[in-house]
Amino acid sequence: MSLADARAIQPKLEAVEDDPEEDARALDNVAAWCERFTPIVVLDPPEGLFLDIAGCSHLFGGEEKLRAEIVTRLHAQGFGSRAAIAPTPGAAWAFARYAKQKRQPERTLRESLQASLAATEDWQTQLANLPVEALRLDSNAAALLRRLGLKTVAHILKAPRSSFTARAGENAMLRLDQALGRTPEALRPRRPAPPVFALRRFLEPIFTADAILQVTQDLCGDAIERLDIRGAGALRAELVLFGVDGRDRVIGVNVSKPLREVKPLMRLFREKLNIVGENLNAEFGFEAARLDIVRLAEFDERTRTLVSGAEASASAEQIGGIVDVLSSRLGAKRVVRPLVHDEHAPERAAGWRSAVAKNDQVKSVKPPADGVQRRPVRLFAPGQLIEVMASVPDGPPLRFRWRRVTREVVRAEGPERISGDWQKREKTRDYYRVEDKQGRRYWLYREGLYGESETPPRWYVHGLFA
Amino acid sequence: MSPRPASFGLSDGPAQDRGFIAKLATMAGQPLHEIGPAGPGFEAAALGFTLALAASWAGAAGVFWAGEDVAFAEEGAPYPVGLAQYGLALDRLIVARAKKREDALWAAEQALAATGAIVICALGAQGKPLDLKASRRLLLFAERYHSRCLLLMPENGPSAAWTRWRIAPAESNALPDELGLPAFRAELTRNRGGPSGSSFILDWNAHERVFAEREVARDLSAAHPDGSADPRWARAI
Repeated sequence: MSLADARAIQPKLEAVEDDPEEDARALDNVAAWCERFTPIVVLDPPEGLFLDIAGCSHLFGGEEKLRAEIVTRLHAQGFGSRAAIAPTPGAAWAFARYAKQKRQPERTLRESLQASLAATEDWQTQLANLPVEALRLDSNAAALLRRLGLKTVAHILKAPRSSFTARAGENAMLRLDQALGRTPEALRPRRPAPPVFALRRFLEPIFTADAILQVTQDLCGDAIERLDIRGAGALRAELVLFGVDGRDRVIGVNVSKPLREVKPLMRLFREKLNIVGENLNAEFGFEAARLDIVRLAEFDERTRTLVSGAEASASAEQIGGIVDVLSSRLGAKRVVRPLVHDEHAPERAAGWRSAVAKNDQVKSVKPPADGVQRRPVRLFAPGQLIEVMASVPDGPPLRFRWRRVTREVVRAEGPERISGDWQKREKTRDYYRVEDKQGRRYWLYREGLYGESETPPRWYVHGLFA
Repeated sequence: MSPRPASFGLSDGPAQDRGFIAKLATMAGQPLHEIGPAGPGFEAAALGFTLALAASWAGAAGVFWAGEDVAFAEEGAPYPVGLAQYGLALDRLIVARAKKREDALWAAEQALAATGAIVICALGAQGKPLDLKASRRLLLFAERYHSRCLLLMPENGPSAAWTRWRIAPAESNALPDELGLPAFRAELTRNRGGPSGSSFILDWNAHERVFAEREVARDLSAAHPDGSADPRWARAI
């Protein structure tokens, strides 16, 4: 329709020069304003926006309330809008544009409209009823599909997949899959989504420095909790304050070591807020605030820095200092860390080395999954000879004498055979874990096999289980 | 039919509240505990109970094990593979051996300055009983640095510890001819700010780093294999 024709219909029509750049700027401004609802806002020019509201809607009383609030407030600022909530960006796009909007009597079509499809379970069925254009196709592709008689999404769904790809392009199928969530769709947010964020909104706008500090503290607490779950620490955090005037202020702090404590983070924010306080221009107040952990890093539990509180731990440096003090008085060989070696012989499988020496990683040994101990906590080196009073050949002793006390074996597990180093002429050992009548547990072994030599094999206690 | 563990992990019912799991939760916040064998030959059990406490409480600052030479030599040397199987993290374990008792106590005090650390102070049977002043010093160090001290020693002198435990091994709770989990009879002979005298039979699950209390723990004369020959057990009823 030409402008002249349009004027003939409506003489009062106001004509404005098309200005795509200005439109883009306006859309970006709206997008920036929308970041008070979620940090993840995606531009979809020329006229669309995607808001990822996962995990945010509860702050606004639910998805439908959030949607209504956005539409109402955009209208108050002079923007008409249609909004829909759906499980996929493609479906939301389709519903916002093509769903039969529930007309509200007091509003005209140019004003905000409803499309309350969010909560409905059968969104896929509803999507199928929409025209084929709802699949985000360019006009040529859509026109081609229409000529082929495929007028609705349902038609596309029913038609055999193979017939499409060649003619209407793979685009239609891709868009369909994206809308149905069969194919994930990666959207690029206007600002990179922070890996961790916490959002608060206020029923009444806040103005005072105290209120802002309190909110910051709450947000720090929320964010730290999430960092805890991820096992990460903050390197840079940004506090975003959303003004009622539609402008937002960003206050950022940097940390040298990954941080996962509220107190030191708050200390940084308090200093920063004191500096920028006067420039916040809070005369209209702030309606929402968000804390973004913009950069984070793996948090090493062992280097957790010293802070007050019961859960705090000494740092590696402090422990190193204590080791130095102990070693200087007791001697370096008396202050030791454990070592584990890949050796069969139990007495060679582990050892101790000076704790002062360079900190090479000790091979980690996990407790057995059943919690049952296979190795004793104390080892005699060498094993102590015991007198076996009764024994079945190739079995554990029924009774043995050690340290002048006779012990009745009531339980025994084994044997675990450990062959000796043949170069050292070591004999094979059969180990048994035994329990005596009083519940004490021993690690015994029989050196050599029955019938191997003229003298019967000898028995030793090699360690004690605790 | 051997009794089964009441529960692994935290208390889940009112019956448990008076039990060991609840006691353990309280103990975790107290700075000094004393553990000793309930009789001759039970040193390994006392050590096991101590190590189990250390393993279940140990955090980033790890475990220091300071002791007299005699406390290490008599019952065999600490064996890293076994300690790891018992639930201790080897990369956060430091052992300090001292020739004299004073040096062992001094080493324990130094180690207690590591915030959050668990310090085992193991003393031998020889020598005169530990004086109250020495245990008070350990208590003060532990309080100041939010660390915890487990004083492992055989004798029964006065001490500043919050709790004192006498430990004996308990018969296995597993199937016949299986050793099962490490098991203790633990008697609480001193309990600052609470009743003492309760006894528990416990299994230590090193993999989960939790104790499980056996339900029969209250009736000790019947449960003791020697038929209550030991007056310690009779006293506990």
